[in-house]
Amino acid sequence: MEVIKLEDATRVYKIGEVETHALRGVNLTVENGEFTALVGPSGSGKTTLLQLMGCLDRPTSGRVLLQGEDITRLSSNKRADLRRGTIGFIFQFFALIPGLSAYENIELPLLLSGSNGKQRRDRVGELLEAVGLSERAKHRPDQMSGGEQQRVAIARALATEPVLILADEPTANLDTENGRQVMEIMLRLNEETGSTFVCATHDPRVVPFARRVVELRDGKVAGDKRYEGDTRWQVSGGQ
Amino acid sequence: MRQLWKIAYRDLARNRRRSALTLVAVALGLALLVMLTGLYSGAIGDSIENNILLQTGHLQVRDESYDEDKVSLAWEDLLDNSEELAAQVRALDGVQAASPVLWASGIVSTREESVGVRVFGIDPLSDVYKRVRDGVVAGQFIQPDDRSGILLSRRLAESMGVAVGDPVSLMVNTSNQQADEAAFTVRGLYHTGALSYDDITVFLPLSKAQAFTRTEGRASAIVALLENRERADALAQALTTPSLTILTWRELNQVILQAVEMSMSITYLMYLIVLAVVAVVIANTLLMSVFERVREMGILAALGMKGRQIMAMFMLEAGTLGLVGVLLGVLLGSLGVLYMATVGLHIGEMATVATAEIAYGEVIYGDFAPGATLALSAAAMVIILLASLYPAWFAARLEPIDALRME
Repeated sequence: MEVIKLEDATRVYKIGEVETHALRGVNLTVENGEFTALVGPSGSGKTTLLQLMGCLDRPTSGRVLLQGEDITRLSSNKRADLRRGTIGFIFQFFALIPGLSAYENIELPLLLSGSNGKQRRDRVGELLEAVGLSERAKHRPDQMSGGEQQRVAIARALATEPVLILADEPTANLDTENGRQVMEIMLRLNEETGSTFVCATHDPRVVPFARRVVELRDGKVAGDKRYEGDTRWQVSGGQ
Repeated sequence: MRQLWKIAYRDLARNRRRSALTLVAVALGLALLVMLTGLYSGAIGDSIENNILLQTGHLQVRDESYDEDKVSLAWEDLLDNSEELAAQVRALDGVQAASPVLWASGIVSTREESVGVRVFGIDPLSDVYKRVRDGVVAGQFIQPDDRSGILLSRRLAESMGVAVGDPVSLMVNTSNQQADEAAFTVRGLYHTGALSYDDITVFLPLSKAQAFTRTEGRASAIVALLENRERADALAQALTTPSLTILTWRELNQVILQAVEMSMSITYLMYLIVLAVVAVVIANTLLMSVFERVREMGILAALGMKGRQIMAMFMLEAGTLGLVGVLLGVLLGSLGVLYMATVGLHIGEMATVATAEIAYGEVIYGDFAPGATLALSAAAMVIILLASLYPAWFAARLEPIDALRME
């Protein structure tokens, strides 16, 4: 089943008189449970594409369908509702709320979706465990390493069990070891929970982890390859 | 809502210094207002009370033709049967004391100095001027049958360089529009604390004053003190007689009450200014907080927070700061009022700038004004919430992708 589908989506930014064509007609379908790497050089439109998929932005033309439903022209409130329940975000700069502990950051989407106290405690505990940070629950972002922060961000993105998780350059600010850890956690969660991941990156280390690699160039899909088999397990060390 | 509050609260908690500074601003602003109100309400209360006890009484009976401004001494303007009338007033239920008084204007002189004064001819045994009797600080209060004694205030005596036992000369207007002068001996000195009153008021026994001014047993008014001043109107009604004017303390203290009304508008203006400053501080804090957290707003929006939730969150933050600040302010202000109510605020010579018609004491005592404090607190809350509208709206209006881009 398709989770997200873009039909001839374009996105033009106007800054003053200058028009920038970030996307020039993208057709892309992401299936349920897929782990897709979105690759391409800077400025190829990866982030814009993620923003359209994540209901953070609307296409200039074309359509976006989330689980078969056209979300192209939804109001900002409706899009907020969609994001809350069905989409999780992982950003390049970790994007944790400073001053809030790891626990509280992960709890945020649960607070927003109105889970009760016990549900929240259980779920946050579970997620901290899943990303291996149970010991760091009370630490604030500035007390954690970049890798740890990104793991908190992953836990937060998964908190409400969204169907689609969008990661924008999740390893760009991490060293090799931390980057590998973050990728492994995302893959494992993809495997275990069946959530769909789309991961924009221009980090060549990430590509071997993905089963599907979509290449963007100048705002268009320039390549779309699926790798069968378990290449990624070789790279991640066969744990 | 509870979730939003939790987020708002956490935000306030992690910006401790900023929250604390804002709280201090709100609290100090409100404390200032509460103290001003308390001081004001106390000062008004005191000055009315002073005026009643020192000069007007709660109730006065005068001849209908008596002209206070001229300090008239013409026989037809005075009360003929003053003792009888006083007895009649005293007999009423709720009257504490009543006695005839004769007012005249005069000049007290020594060899070097002369000062214009108001002469009060009073019954020294009556409780109507008990406040003055209790205020005697040297020598003695005057006696009814004293034919040559005079009571001055300590301030007047000091300024003229006389002491108890010294002679002074007193010149007064008389009923036939002439002046007479006689020598008196200073029997005693009083001090009431109402400096503008002390400076110009001297006392003679009523009978001596009547003889001196040729008013022959007549009095300017019957001055009465009541057990409860709120009964003044009812008692005035009971005393209504043609050819007599009955005045209550409200009418007699109109000058003060009008001054109060006038200065009220200035006070309101001051309240407004202080509240506006508080509003600016709150708006500024929140706006800073919005700018600082633009990216966070983006993250929260990406997590599915709606514009109106973000707005509500900011207003909750403002409301919390406001509420805690207001509570602290009321507490702080009340402590200030408590201090002023017990210790008082010494204004000393400043009390003399008031006219004799408004007898400010040299010490002003505060008086907690619950109604005004409540109104001020409510006004502060409303203004704080209004001031938070713009920053909150600004935050809510941010597009998530624009907010996220600001890194």
